[in-house]
Amino acid sequence: MVLKTSMPLCLSYIPIGLACGILLHAAGFNFIMTLLVSIVVFSGGAQFLIASMLTINAPILSIVVTLFFLELRYALLGSSMSRYLKGESQRFIWLFSVSLNDENYAINYLKFATDKNWQPRQALMVEHYSLLSWSLANLVGSLIGSALTIDLEIVDFALTALFLYMIVMQIRNRLTFLISALSLVLSVFFLVLTKSTIGLIISTLLASFVGFMLEAHVRKHYKHISQHWLFGKIKGPALTRKTVEDKDNDS
Amino acid sequence: METVWTNLPVLAGTVVNKMDSMDHLLLILLAAIAAFIPRYIPMLFFSTREIPDWFNEWMKYVPVSLFTALVAKGIFVSSSYGFSGLGHVNYIIAGLVVIVVTYMTRSMALSVIAGLAAVFVVTIFL
Repeated sequence: MVLKTSMPLCLSYIPIGLACGILLHAAGFNFIMTLLVSIVVFSGGAQFLIASMLTINAPILSIVVTLFFLELRYALLGSSMSRYLKGESQRFIWLFSVSLNDENYAINYLKFATDKNWQPRQALMVEHYSLLSWSLANLVGSLIGSALTIDLEIVDFALTALFLYMIVMQIRNRLTFLISALSLVLSVFFLVLTKSTIGLIISTLLASFVGFMLEAHVRKHYKHISQHWLFGKIKGPALTRKTVEDKDNDS
Repeated sequence: METVWTNLPVLAGTVVNKMDSMDHLLLILLAAIAAFIPRYIPMLFFSTREIPDWFNEWMKYVPVSLFTALVAKGIFVSSSYGFSGLGHVNYIIAGLVVIVVTYMTRSMALSVIAGLAAVFVVTIFL
């Protein structure tokens, strides 16, 4: 069940992890270093950043500072995930945060939000499966290194596609749709304005805050929020109320 | 998601780098710390305290906002943080394919595969 949930992510990590391993190899990392970085950093974006900054001979400190700003968004993910992890031990929180990243967060958040039986233990398993698939793909990529050239344009899109899937799955009412549209505009604006990934954090905080304020406003003035236009449901085709993966589990 | 690396020389040996393995190890150690702090501190803070309702209500809208921002970055923002507009037509078309496939099937695997196939086909024909 957990494996089934993690499988699509593990599979889509393979081409990206391979690409990442190849790039780190090109940037001068040996295979042990590549394996190590894929385990302790475990973030596609961050590892691509390391590779790209190494190739321009950036000093270590400036790589680390840039990386820190890129990784700051996890503060938001951690905060929003924490309500599902209440009552877990210190050690569990440590383990969970060490192998948290965008993609397994997305899967676990969706599971926590839609499946009442989803347990923190299972969420941690998802993280570990994805870590395993990611680091193995990195290792293999690093070993085949120069023997293979890849079309980065295509590989780059795998994560975008994964996030698009997550967005569509999250949109249940008109308000969520509006917030997503707002975030699109704000993020482009702030990314271009700040010339760094800080733009991601500013736009996320703003867009989610607008969503929160609108919901609070509607709650104050209507007895049942579902009566309001903003909370009208956006329905998918009747056959697809459940994911294909869910249907497999039922049968 | 990251577009900085599309400028990278992909072939090994095209890069001259002065760092040795010890430098790499130091870099990895510092990178691990930089990656760990933002993940751990907020989660530790909020999972061991009583969280006010308004904070949870606010955080409810974080995932959809952040994912949209990451997609926007991947499709509409260039590696030098300029607005690329319709510069990545292949990504835009493939993105629409992903949305439609997700809407119709609700399957993550199908959506990602369809998206990759679409970007592959569109890149060839453009």
